[in-house]
Amino acid sequence: MNTSSNGYVLGFAVTVCVTISAMLAATATSLAPEQAAAAELDRQKNVMMAAGLLKAGEVKSKEELVKLYNDRIKEVVVDTVDGKALDGKAAGDADKLNQDGAAAAKDPADKKKAETRYRVVAQAKGDDGSSTYVLPISGKGLWSTIYGYLALGGDAATVKGVTFYKHGETPGLGGECENPEWCAKWVGKSILDESKQLVGVIVKKGSIDPAIPEDKRHKVDGLSGATITCNGITKFVKNDLTAFDKYLASVRK
Amino acid sequence: MTATATPPVKKGGLFGPDEIKVIKDPLWDNNPIAFQILGICSSLAVTTRLDKALVMGIGVTLVTALANLIISTIRNFIPNKIRIIVQLVVVSGVVIVFDQFLKAYMFDLSKQLSVFVGLIITNCIVMGRLEAYAMSNPPWRSFLDGIGNGLGYLWILAVVGTVREILGSGKLLGAQVIPQSLYEAGYVNNGLMVLAPGAFILLGIIVWVQRSISGYSEK
Repeated sequence: MNTSSNGYVLGFAVTVCVTISAMLAATATSLAPEQAAAAELDRQKNVMMAAGLLKAGEVKSKEELVKLYNDRIKEVVVDTVDGKALDGKAAGDADKLNQDGAAAAKDPADKKKAETRYRVVAQAKGDDGSSTYVLPISGKGLWSTIYGYLALGGDAATVKGVTFYKHGETPGLGGECENPEWCAKWVGKSILDESKQLVGVIVKKGSIDPAIPEDKRHKVDGLSGATITCNGITKFVKNDLTAFDKYLASVRK
Repeated sequence: MTATATPPVKKGGLFGPDEIKVIKDPLWDNNPIAFQILGICSSLAVTTRLDKALVMGIGVTLVTALANLIISTIRNFIPNKIRIIVQLVVVSGVVIVFDQFLKAYMFDLSKQLSVFVGLIITNCIVMGRLEAYAMSNPPWRSFLDGIGNGLGYLWILAVVGTVREILGSGKLLGAQVIPQSLYEAGYVNNGLMVLAPGAFILLGIIVWVQRSISGYSEK
């Protein structure tokens, strides 16, 4: 057989590509449920990490994690328009509500708003009975959408923890946002200024100066080499907190 | 060349002396890292912790073995003109399957390894073995050659990973091994070991030790 004729080379290339594609498609499809389950467990772990129920790097079996999550975390669907928690709705219903809302909206701008109207907040109970509110945060970094959780203490104003668990930022630069040591710097920051106005948490370019009250209260050190990621985080944290403002105000009372 | 004459069928079964040699050679005498100086980039990147190093080593072993097996099986049909790209497609396919399994069953590790799993594709050891061995040897021995080279890579990674994790963060496999009392007495973790240059120095030492024992020197 002449293995160097153009026809043969072309045929061989196509055969190899089709075979490998079929193999990859089969693997991806058959493993999809397991992968989704693993990603969901990872998400739950991050909720608990933000709430301080789980330390970064702590090793626990899957059963322990699921039990801890079920015991301590209650997920509620919050309507960000009036800030009220919906009764009788499970966390899984939020997507459906948003889709229905978006389908009902006529104006494209309303549609966009309706898509994120209902959000899931996780309420965590601490060992001493204290409450923690874990808010989902997400938005654009440099390359990708970053997903994370921001946990606020019982006063709904002081940061108790933060995690970023899904992103496509450059490893070593923007990807450092998932570094537990960096996330630890967020703890104790206040999202409100002295006059109770929403400021959010600001990721500063460079290091913060603890001598400046504003730095100490609201800002965290920037990640070097990742200015756009940091600015993105500052922006979407503020946006998401604005969306939850009414809900948080109702909790503060 | 694509088709080389198949060596005559030898006695000795699946694990005859030749097969044993194929596995043992890359572990020491012809080690891919210490002797051929291949795969250095990934061995710097994934050895900050032992568990990462082990998973990466196992990954490279599986990928090299499977890719060797597949390429060797179809070696007589691969057109010479496009052999490199065919090898690359097969390697990529195997790596993506490995990555999918990691995502399904070892999610945490797959997150930590992130881009490095994809980088197995560019590991010179994999392509090197395909070109140098699988293209001209029968499937079973090519498979063993892949296992051997993977293990040769794995043990060096494991040694570097162990030293770096202990010296760099005082832990081994995530468990604290350096007692707290030592830290209180003023001991500090070696920051250099966490960074790539630390791995470079260790690799240099391993290559030196390995070569002074095996008596090899560059001409």
